[in-house]
Amino acid sequence: MTRNGPVALFFHALVVIFMLAPLVIVCLVAFTPENTLSLPTRGFSLRWFQAVFHHPDFVQSFWNSLWLAVLSATLAVALAVPASLAITRWEFPGRGFLNALFLSPLIIPHLVLGVAMLRLFAVVGAAGSFGWLVAAHMVIVTPYVMRLLIAAISGFDRSVEQAAFSLGASEATVFRRVTLPMILPGVTGGWLIAFINSFDELTMSIFITSPSTVTLPVRMYMYATESIDPMMAAVSALIIGITAVAVLLLDRVYGLDRILVGQH
Amino acid sequence: MSFLELKNITKRYGPLTAVGDVSLSVEKGEFVSLLGPSGCGKTTTLQMIAGFVEPSVGTIRLDGRDITRAKANSRGLGIVFQSYALFPHMTVFDNVSFGLEMQRVPKGERKPRVEEALSLVHLSPYAKRYPRELSGGQRQRVALARALVIRPPVLLLDEPLSNLDAKLREAMQFELREIQRKVGTTTVMVTHDQAEAFSISDRVVVMEAGRITQIDQPYRIYEHPETEFISRFVGKTNLLPGKVVTATGAGATVSLAGISVPVETAGLSVGETVTLCIRPEKLHLTAPAGGLLTGRVADRFFLGSQWLYHIDGPLGTLMVVTPNDGSTPAEQGAPVGLDWSPSVVRVHRGAMAEAPDVALEVTG
Repeated sequence: MTRNGPVALFFHALVVIFMLAPLVIVCLVAFTPENTLSLPTRGFSLRWFQAVFHHPDFVQSFWNSLWLAVLSATLAVALAVPASLAITRWEFPGRGFLNALFLSPLIIPHLVLGVAMLRLFAVVGAAGSFGWLVAAHMVIVTPYVMRLLIAAISGFDRSVEQAAFSLGASEATVFRRVTLPMILPGVTGGWLIAFINSFDELTMSIFITSPSTVTLPVRMYMYATESIDPMMAAVSALIIGITAVAVLLLDRVYGLDRILVGQH
Repeated sequence: MSFLELKNITKRYGPLTAVGDVSLSVEKGEFVSLLGPSGCGKTTTLQMIAGFVEPSVGTIRLDGRDITRAKANSRGLGIVFQSYALFPHMTVFDNVSFGLEMQRVPKGERKPRVEEALSLVHLSPYAKRYPRELSGGQRQRVALARALVIRPPVLLLDEPLSNLDAKLREAMQFELREIQRKVGTTTVMVTHDQAEAFSISDRVVVMEAGRITQIDQPYRIYEHPETEFISRFVGKTNLLPGKVVTATGAGATVSLAGISVPVETAGLSVGETVTLCIRPEKLHLTAPAGGLLTGRVADRFFLGSQWLYHIDGPLGTLMVVTPNDGSTPAEQGAPVGLDWSPSVVRVHRGAMAEAPDVALEVTG
């Protein structure tokens, strides 16, 4: 491995600072005791966090987002496991089409998806339904899960399953005792990536949330269009915190470099 | 009736015939190896016995029962895979115990049986480890214990030693045979390594392009290869094209580029084109005029226990292997005589095939 020279190191440091600085500043501002987004601040206070936790709309939206992310990630995994097993292992007519279909939401702008979903919800009379919101988020997060699972299953030694068969295991037992545990890092990694994506999603959700199903990013957007106060920074800090925990977990169970660089 | 019987087994993949009309009988307790270069159909044959591949034609019987269409998980066979195929998320103990669990062996009975299997392969202290914490040889033993613990009627080994380094491979060969003798399980092994097949099998089945070309005891295959392919594939050999000049009831004389050589093969006819096959260790170096041929040492290679000579002579370059008995070897360029007894010459009818296939394994 070659070491970076001083110029390269300087450049890398600049990029990292450029990317991290806004996050750091938002987190610092969140602790301000003042009434405006100001830095440097005169002291340290948790008043804006307190304000968030006492703001019923934000609390409600937080729970909405959490449930939405948990449900859509779980359902996406439940759908993607059999789908990616079928796509990687069997030759069947429509296999390429199915593969493309599952991955296509990745290349459709969320804005377009939002408009389309809005129209669809109106047609089926589902406007404002939390169930349909979950379904819409599934469409967005399933491709991420599929990508990770297909990578996990492609590197799978089929003879391990054959060994289990030869020892007398039924097909269901082989899946439960051998296949699933062996692709578990891919499953967990996929779930976490799906969770993060759903929890963060704004563009599509703006179109399809109703007053009772407003998600946290949408609530923030709505609030920020009217007024900017340090409570925004506090909410942002909380989201950054939750996402960071999820990413750390992801790195522990699956390895970030495997997702981002595509190594196995 | 044999214990395991394959009758006219054929497997076609579209227009391609992977295995063609293979019939094989294995007796109870026997160790049989399927030997051949890659792509000869030996692994497909094993997978049909295991139940992972369904034959297009033919029947497989195990102990009198037709298992041709039986599912792999109802056959109860023990299989050791080339990649070992251990369950990576289970400990050694759980790996071995898995088969007993599937057979609904009561929990109290499982533990002693797993321990017995692990001690058979000398792995008792490793029961709590995970496969990734073991060396290749140890993983191989876990795979063997896992296959044997269910007391299978037949043990199938798919290139079991090919992932081990040379020294370990040799040690495992003998250990494998010893364990097989101890438990007495009928065993079918697939290998492309003739030394492996010869050293541990009761019988060797040579396969070539999806068909069986010879089934025999290892030394008989070496000494009496039935085809030119086998004589090339199995060990080193000198192949000499010739023509039959005289033939009697008990033998014949073959002319090799003008030199007449006696052979002991009966039933040849005068004028017939033949290929003579002589193993290098059956040739002797003599004084320059003392043998059937004279030649010159073109090259010599010291192999430790043996010397390998390349002798240039009227028949081209011949390989000669002599044991290293401690005496001074013939010098490079020295004139030598070559002698052999007519009884060691094998005669294949027909002309010599083209130069040997590069893919063939040459194991000294």
